[in-house]
Amino acid sequence: MIEVNNLTKVFRKPIRGNGLSGMVKTLFSRKYEEVRAVDGISFTIPDGEIVGYIGANGAGKSTTIKMMCGILTPTSGSIRIDGVEPYRKRRQVAQHIGVVFGQKTQLWWDIPLIESFKVLKEIYQISDADYEERMAFLGEVLDITRFLSQPVRTLSLGERMRADLAASMIHNPRILFLDEPTIGMDVLVKEKIRLAIHELNKVYGTTVVLTTHDMTDIEDLCSRIILLEKGSILYDGPLVNLKNRFGNIKTLTLTVPTDVHAETAPVLLPEVAISEEDGRLVLRFDADKVALEQVVQYAFRDLKAIDMKIAEISIGDVVKTILEQQEAEHAEKV
Amino acid sequence: MLKKYKPFLRAGAIDTMAYRFNILMWAGITVCEVACMIFLWLAVYRSSTGGMDAEIHGFTFREMIAYVVLTTVFGFVTFNNDTLWNINTDIKKGTVGNYLIKPISYRGKFAATSLGNLLTMTLMFGVPMYTAALVTLGCMGFLPGLTFPAFFAHLGLFLIAGLCASLLNDTIAYIFGVLCFYTSAGWGLNSLKTTIISFLSGTLLPLAFFPAGLREIVKWMPFAGMSQNPVLILMMKYDLAESLRCIALSATWIVVLELFAKILFSHAVRKVTVHGG
Amino acid sequence: MRYVHLYFTCIKRSMISRLEYKKDTIIALFSFFFSNLCSLAAIFFILQAIPTLAGYTLPEVGFFYGFSMLPIALDHLFSDELWLVAYRRVKDGDMDMHFLRPVPVLFQVFAETFQPEGFGELILGVALITVCAMNLTVKVTLGAIAVLLVGAAFGAVIITSLKVAIAALAFIFKRSGPLLQIIYNFSAYAKYPLAIYPGFIRVLLIFVLPFGLFISLPVDTLLYGTNNPWLLSLAIMGAAAVFFSTSVWIWTLCERRYESTGS
Repeated sequence: MIEVNNLTKVFRKPIRGNGLSGMVKTLFSRKYEEVRAVDGISFTIPDGEIVGYIGANGAGKSTTIKMMCGILTPTSGSIRIDGVEPYRKRRQVAQHIGVVFGQKTQLWWDIPLIESFKVLKEIYQISDADYEERMAFLGEVLDITRFLSQPVRTLSLGERMRADLAASMIHNPRILFLDEPTIGMDVLVKEKIRLAIHELNKVYGTTVVLTTHDMTDIEDLCSRIILLEKGSILYDGPLVNLKNRFGNIKTLTLTVPTDVHAETAPVLLPEVAISEEDGRLVLRFDADKVALEQVVQYAFRDLKAIDMKIAEISIGDVVKTILEQQEAEHAEKV
Repeated sequence: MLKKYKPFLRAGAIDTMAYRFNILMWAGITVCEVACMIFLWLAVYRSSTGGMDAEIHGFTFREMIAYVVLTTVFGFVTFNNDTLWNINTDIKKGTVGNYLIKPISYRGKFAATSLGNLLTMTLMFGVPMYTAALVTLGCMGFLPGLTFPAFFAHLGLFLIAGLCASLLNDTIAYIFGVLCFYTSAGWGLNSLKTTIISFLSGTLLPLAFFPAGLREIVKWMPFAGMSQNPVLILMMKYDLAESLRCIALSATWIVVLELFAKILFSHAVRKVTVHGG
Repeated sequence: MRYVHLYFTCIKRSMISRLEYKKDTIIALFSFFFSNLCSLAAIFFILQAIPTLAGYTLPEVGFFYGFSMLPIALDHLFSDELWLVAYRRVKDGDMDMHFLRPVPVLFQVFAETFQPEGFGELILGVALITVCAMNLTVKVTLGAIAVLLVGAAFGAVIITSLKVAIAALAFIFKRSGPLLQIIYNFSAYAKYPLAIYPGFIRVLLIFVLPFGLFISLPVDTLLYGTNNPWLLSLAIMGAAAVFFSTSVWIWTLCERRYESTGS
């Protein structure tokens, strides 16, 4: 279980002067600005849950993950992993967590992959039987057996990430922190990685916290999401609720004759927003308030639609909308 | 044309700023190190047959001390360079390819960064350190060769020689860096480079101490121009003609080595593109 | 026992890495050889111009030089990773992986690299000592041999301790490589007899950066019987204990200050 309580992290960043005179000034005195990367967040993650930790770049996702792993110390507030504060008892916690930072490998670069696993076996004191079992399991779900004898530097990005994931799971951690595990992967590899995470969670009941920019990851894996913006939690709860908060939004994308445009089109109801994208018209509305049938009729009759596509709002759109709203509110305040 | 290298120049300058603590610490401890070397030379001159007034291989004790102090300052200001390691890192992480497709030359990037380093080091540390060293040594009579106003001409030549030394250093570091393409790791090459430069540039010991045959060979190599020659120009141990000859030699070597580096790099890259990163 | 086993597993890993770069290893070996040759040549060139160095003859100075290589070589075998920590790894934010593992960070740093080049230095040092000793006319006592062995072994512990303490500063200042370089360079001054230095430098080289304590004094003891070898051995071992425990303490303090980069 992970308990995060009023967690805050403030970074002091030196302000650099401009030009040569500024540089010389910074040589003798340094001014700092305070950046509140994480600003008083609290949440609890019970065992066996898969949580998606999302937000824009610089929202404080990685900072939180790093504090949960114990390699950053909170400015205030606390984190308890099964009752232990990771930044105080780093080594004790390390035995029970697995970490992957998508941008950096933890494997030894120059040696065959299998040698890295042999070292990790000793580091985490894994018994021979457990090691065999885990290697068999990971070899299968992550499909790494094929390139075990290759040096890590010769692996492709997708292979390396699968290897990194395997390395983070080899000691059967109770909690797995994955910072952008699918970054830069192609669709097939992403699929494989998601499947592995899912399988691991199912078989071993591993708690997983993952950050990602790929909303498909979230939809496929996470029962719960925590949405972070400027260091604060905007939303914490099941995925479904987040969608519902926006009502039953549907979009109709219409192929229309060239003389039909969004500005000149007849208006059906103010609740139906019309916009134009790539020469197509996009209608956006809440299907709980406006009948779908009515809008479809309107599209064919008034807008002379030739073809049409109906879609539910995606989680990506939801997040985008929330962040945009937040941005707008912020702008108003300023 | 040169504008696109400005960010690297700036990065080199800022990098140097960022570690000012280290640099200041380094400067402080270098003083201890120089002091130790002075004691070694003191023992050498005391043990010599002529005693403290002896001239060994053209250096009096006082000139030798001035030489030690000035080569140390010179090395500190001029040889601040991570080129070899950065190339090695690029090779190891496979990021060299990123630069091949950018509209800047790989070589130009490093030259600009090193020049940025040199510029900051010279302005921040070079000017005060040279001034302090020259004034102190001069007042103590350790620089008997100095005459005015001829000194100012030598100072000008020294700055040019210093720039040449920095460029030579960067080119050689670059060549050794590119050699990493063939050996795939930089440890050995870096220590080989450091050893060769410190021995053959006269930093370890003035080249005048070398046996005649070896001295004649080393005289025509690029290394003397990286430490001994600029310092002897500044100390006015070389006359104008000799100074100009040294600078011309360094300039020639820069051209030759740059050409060599260019050929070597294109060969190395071909090797990489054929065999894959 | 667990750590002994773990250490050998990691060292094996390190050796496999090295074998991936055979050319580099060969160049490194050659360059160490060449580097020592250059330094020896420098001493030789200087001694050509003067009869003796403060009364020490060429074979005596050569013996000094050869002996100074032994503790340096031993340290070199085991603790080379500290250079990387001091120069690059903390600065590049490359230490996180060590902090995510259930093993002490300092142990991991030591287990990261084993440098076989050290053997080359060791062999060269022993060879030089042997050659020079054959040209010396001293009476070799059991005590002198003991103090030389203690000086080499425990001297290595002291050098490693200095490196640990200074590399640890990188956790606070991001980069401590230049400082490490300079402290390490002081070992060069213990290559010559202490007699050439004035009093305060001798004090520095015996009590502060004790290269003189474990290099110069044991050699002087062999050549001239200047010290009681057994007492000197004891002093060297004591100093090694103090330096070792202090440096581990400093490392622990600094390690606690380590923070990963933000973002």
